[in-house]
Amino acid sequence: MISAGIDAGAATTKVLLFQDMEIRGYRIAGTAFDFVTAAGNMFDSLLASCNIGREEVGNVYATGYGRNSISFADKSISEITAHAKGVSFLFPEVRGIIDVGGQDSKVIAIEDGKVVDFLMNDKCAAGTGKFLEYTAKALEVPINDLGGLALASHHPASITSMCTVFAESEVISLRARGITKEDIAAGLIASIAQRVGVMAKRMGLKEHIAFVGGVAKNAGMKVILEKELGVTLYVPFEPQITGALGAAIVGQGNR
Amino acid sequence: MPPPLQSLDFFQDSYELRIAQLKEEREKGIKIVGTFCLYVPDEIIFAAGADRIVLCGGKADTVPLAEQSLPRNICPLIKSSFGAVIDACCGGNLACPHVPLVDVVVAEATCDGKKKMYEMLSDYIPTYVLDLPQKPGSPEALDYFLSELRKFGKFMEGLTGNVVRNDALRREIRSANETKRLLHRLFELRKRDPPPIRGSEVLRVMQKQFFLSPDQFRQGVSRLCEEMEHATPDARTGPRIMISGCPMAAGNTKVADIIEQKGGVIVVEESCTGTRSFWDLVDEERDPWKALAERYLEIPCACMTPNDQRVARIVDLAKQYDVQGVVYYTLQFCHAYNIERFRVQRTLKKEKIPMLAIESDYGDSDLEQIGIRVDAFLEMIA
Repeated sequence: MISAGIDAGAATTKVLLFQDMEIRGYRIAGTAFDFVTAAGNMFDSLLASCNIGREEVGNVYATGYGRNSISFADKSISEITAHAKGVSFLFPEVRGIIDVGGQDSKVIAIEDGKVVDFLMNDKCAAGTGKFLEYTAKALEVPINDLGGLALASHHPASITSMCTVFAESEVISLRARGITKEDIAAGLIASIAQRVGVMAKRMGLKEHIAFVGGVAKNAGMKVILEKELGVTLYVPFEPQITGALGAAIVGQGNR
Repeated sequence: MPPPLQSLDFFQDSYELRIAQLKEEREKGIKIVGTFCLYVPDEIIFAAGADRIVLCGGKADTVPLAEQSLPRNICPLIKSSFGAVIDACCGGNLACPHVPLVDVVVAEATCDGKKKMYEMLSDYIPTYVLDLPQKPGSPEALDYFLSELRKFGKFMEGLTGNVVRNDALRREIRSANETKRLLHRLFELRKRDPPPIRGSEVLRVMQKQFFLSPDQFRQGVSRLCEEMEHATPDARTGPRIMISGCPMAAGNTKVADIIEQKGGVIVVEESCTGTRSFWDLVDEERDPWKALAERYLEIPCACMTPNDQRVARIVDLAKQYDVQGVVYYTLQFCHAYNIERFRVQRTLKKEKIPMLAIESDYGDSDLEQIGIRVDAFLEMIA
């Protein structure tokens, strides 16, 4: 059976097709204002490129913030369950997940592929991709370069503000004091790593931890978070799709 | 979900009756006391020949008004309560219709936020503050609280011109115990599987406990119990859930509503609007003042230290009500319950009872965020 997972996240939408224990294809795009139509179009184009007809898809499962609005989905599940399923499929030995997405971050403890506990931060942008996006703008650095820049730092600046808006002005004042872009970038990434690290420690995650979500694509972030936690993190080949993958797997009916 | 119970209408219908009753009493010269908290003993108020009514503290409307004087980062219950009183005192019509009915507010020295708010409240309305020991576990604390209750008795005597006699106090203790026994009967029925009543419905009933007269309230609860005894509810929609934490004052049913929308079945609440008001009875045989002091100090509020009795109570209730998960609810910036969460979580983990912590205020901005947590929690424990 072919199943589909739609992860309608706050910042990006992911669509994935799954068949015979394999990923058939996926799409990632920024979440549009009319995200239901946009997700539908992404789904159609993915089906077309995989040469699969809509009627061949058995179940469509939605997850993410917009999960209950995806009208063409058969069912919705929380992204906590979805990430746990998706990550456990890719790395069966994993016991914990750190997901840093565009507008939230979460830490999930899993045993035998099942969620046993979780923590979420989504009340503000602190510790999320948005924090990096805004502060990178203040640094006038493309977001994708921020990680590389941070790794070149020798004396990371200390960023004390957790608030995205205030961190932006802190960046500007550090710049005014002549601190290098490298050191500021390292400081910004360290501040997120610390915040997310506290969540992971609070959850008791010790080893076999996966790092997923858009921010996991940031190489500097991975290195600094590994240092913070003292472990090597598992990062999937495409860290943004584990939610959609998990939804599609649940859609197979093997819960 | 259980079908709606007809006898719940009684609680809706009795609102106007009760307001009319209080107005009539005032015209006759009976004094009315406004209260906020379980630590203020009804028994003493009634024994002095006064009546009482709980003041509103669960509505979002009055928060902006309160924030003109109070800091933004304190708990919404404090802000809402304060806003309700000052709005009513300034002739506004935003919130609490109970304030114009009361002669005096009897407050209590519980958490820091409330204590300091009551100082400001006294600029608007006569306010009496009942002091509480913070370490309730010693004989000295009990002696002190006993002296505070006697002092409060004297205050009530001054207010009403009536003497608080021991036989009147005993009568009121028996009356309040009768209410407590009825509530035990109600909560006992919730142990059934599926339970014959929704948690949000019980919450709305409990929010009226200190608003209605004891007679009215008991009449409603006993009708409800009779109907529940014969109810045949549909199968459960999801796991059995206990809510534990901060009070959900009248107007605030946000988290209970979300849990039920998502399919969770709330079977018990360890809170001031749940078990804390009625779980322990007052000893009817002993000296009434001492019996009251002992019973009221047993209330497991997080403003007390240490508060191990609360942690033990939560585990006990979780087992008695066969819950599959606990939702630990705190009002934003409520330090006492927020901090105590750690010890509760640790103990529940040992007992292998899953727990979800939710911190929220009275606004609607986090409905979706709470929804996703509840969805994930229910999926996790299903």
